[in-house]
Amino acid sequence: MNIITEIKRMANARIDGSAECLRGIRSSRVILHLITIGVLAGFLLPLHSGVMTSIKTPSEFAETLPMVPPNIGSITIEPWTVAFETLSTSMINSLMFTIPAMVGSAVLGSIAAYGLTMVDWRGQVGIMSLFVAAIFVPKQALLVPISRFWSIVDLQGILANLGPLNLWALPFLQPYHATIFELAVYHTVFGISICTLLFRGYYLTIDQSLIEAAKLDGASFFATYWHIIRPLSYPMFAVVCIFQFTQIWNEFLFGLVLSSGTQAAPATVTLNDLNSGYAQLYNRQAAGAFIVAIPTLLVYLMFGDKFAKAQEY
Amino acid sequence: MTNLAFDNVTKNFGDVQAVNNLSMELNDGEFLVIVGPSGCGKTTLLRMVAGLEDVTNGEIRLGGDPIQDQRPQDRDIAMVFQSYALYPHMTVRGNMSFGLQQSTDLDADKINKRVTDIGNKLDISELLDRQPSELSGGQRQRVALGRAIIRDPEVFLLDEPLSNLDAKLRAEMRTELQRLQNQLNVMTIYVTHDQTEAMTMGDRIAVLNDGELQQIGTPTECYHEPNNRFVGGFIGEPSMNFIETTANGDVLRRDGFTYQLSEEMTNTVTSGESVTLGIRPEEISLTPQAEETNEFTATIDVVETGGKEHNYYLWPEQGEFQTPIIATVNDIQRYSENDRIGMVFSEEKIHLFHGETGNALHYPSRSREVAPTPK
Repeated sequence: MNIITEIKRMANARIDGSAECLRGIRSSRVILHLITIGVLAGFLLPLHSGVMTSIKTPSEFAETLPMVPPNIGSITIEPWTVAFETLSTSMINSLMFTIPAMVGSAVLGSIAAYGLTMVDWRGQVGIMSLFVAAIFVPKQALLVPISRFWSIVDLQGILANLGPLNLWALPFLQPYHATIFELAVYHTVFGISICTLLFRGYYLTIDQSLIEAAKLDGASFFATYWHIIRPLSYPMFAVVCIFQFTQIWNEFLFGLVLSSGTQAAPATVTLNDLNSGYAQLYNRQAAGAFIVAIPTLLVYLMFGDKFAKAQEY
Repeated sequence: MTNLAFDNVTKNFGDVQAVNNLSMELNDGEFLVIVGPSGCGKTTLLRMVAGLEDVTNGEIRLGGDPIQDQRPQDRDIAMVFQSYALYPHMTVRGNMSFGLQQSTDLDADKINKRVTDIGNKLDISELLDRQPSELSGGQRQRVALGRAIIRDPEVFLLDEPLSNLDAKLRAEMRTELQRLQNQLNVMTIYVTHDQTEAMTMGDRIAVLNDGELQQIGTPTECYHEPNNRFVGGFIGEPSMNFIETTANGDVLRRDGFTYQLSEEMTNTVTSGESVTLGIRPEEISLTPQAEETNEFTATIDVVETGGKEHNYYLWPEQGEFQTPIIATVNDIQRYSENDRIGMVFSEEKIHLFHGETGNALHYPSRSREVAPTPK
């Protein structure tokens, strides 16, 4: 709207050649740009301060303002290397449960939403309301039951005795991976409800006659999902994957509780180890925070374009 | 020879009766148009044939076999949806071959050949590798038809297929659909709310109202010999004029309006009962002045000028009419708004309907009497 009014005003200004009007536009432009720059600076300043902090020595950090760049001579990358060394194993741990849980909850959510939205059957409203209710279950309330559950179910022991097979004897597998498996299962299950709701909202906008046409074309229930609904869901998969990846990757509480006493700690938990016992090492923490944020950014970049490119009906 | 029979078919949605005890039969190769106002149950009827809705009661038989319990894909029917329902992520080729891939075990080469054949037939062969979003409305329509034709079904179901097209394209597609149907000679059920489409396309038309079959017959029959007031009013544009009167001996009376019946016509009505007099706009003639019996003085309210025909909206001076009488006349007669003129309701042109039941008591064209409905 604003742009259109402005164009009209510019056109008028050109027609009467009124210098006053032009000046009016210029000053409003200047104000607009100033506000934009101000807001941008407000958003970027903390980020900038973070980067500056991460390349300063602790003593320089103590002596200067956070946003002031360090002296060229005293720039250090030591916080980044230390942070990376500390976090690398736990980042791999995080990826090992985040990716399966993201894919699992998205796929299961999509299938559940298909069954609950595109097919008519008795009692589906009741089931759907259970899904919705599950979204509002507070995580804290699940903390004790889930951790008790995994301490009763000895997953590590079970996987060690799968018939003649000891899973942990296989290459690349370690006993602590059982904890990662637990986290993956927890995040998948916890994510299904919100994923179902997101997919359902999308499926309600899909023309129901597509399903009917597929039915008449002879496609079975699953063939319809596979050939019609799944391909149409890609934009929604991108949304759900971004959302789930961010949620699961940034989760701290269950990562802390389930991984305690094992080597399975996720990145969010290990971030805390960057503190030395005596002093707050802000430069390492800042570097660590950036390193932990990188995978989330990559996921946004990966799925962002699919997210924007929706199918047309 | 296949025929499709509906035997006392009823469909309820909860308490709402969408289709009520409907029976009719279609012959091989026939083009039947189901027409009626929105919500009359015509689409529901079509969807029951397709298997997209259950039949509450009654039987639908295709070639003698009941099909209402078969799965849609086993019924050997194909449907064109109002929204076309083209799969948006598949090319035209993909859309057309999907049904064959899912329901037959033809190999890819055979399917491709069939797609190419149908593409040529429908003049869409150069569109085969495009996405539906890259097609115009008329092209999508063709693709949707192609998707139905390619499966070589026993019955085609078309659900208001032309309603999304602009007027000119609609007229073109109408002709083309008819040509195609003649060529393929497959039984077709075509649902529309547009009586012009029904009149021009159908071998026979079935008029539905409130879930009940009002009449099934050729367009000419439905036009000239409507079974009841609803059919009379629904078929024909502008619609038939209705004048509610009471029979009184050999006249039909309404306040100051009196219509004189001949002796023969008097026998079709019962004195004292209410009778609706119907006359089509194109059957009214206009004279400069009402002089004879059954000529009525009226004032012209509005004149709608058309190229060939003009519609006159007329307020009769007598009879306290709530709606104007519409008369359609050709170019030779020209009158202006506010003129006082005479309308001629000649007895050979009028329809008589029972005032309460709406059933026809008298048709004009063949001067044939209908047996009065038993009381």
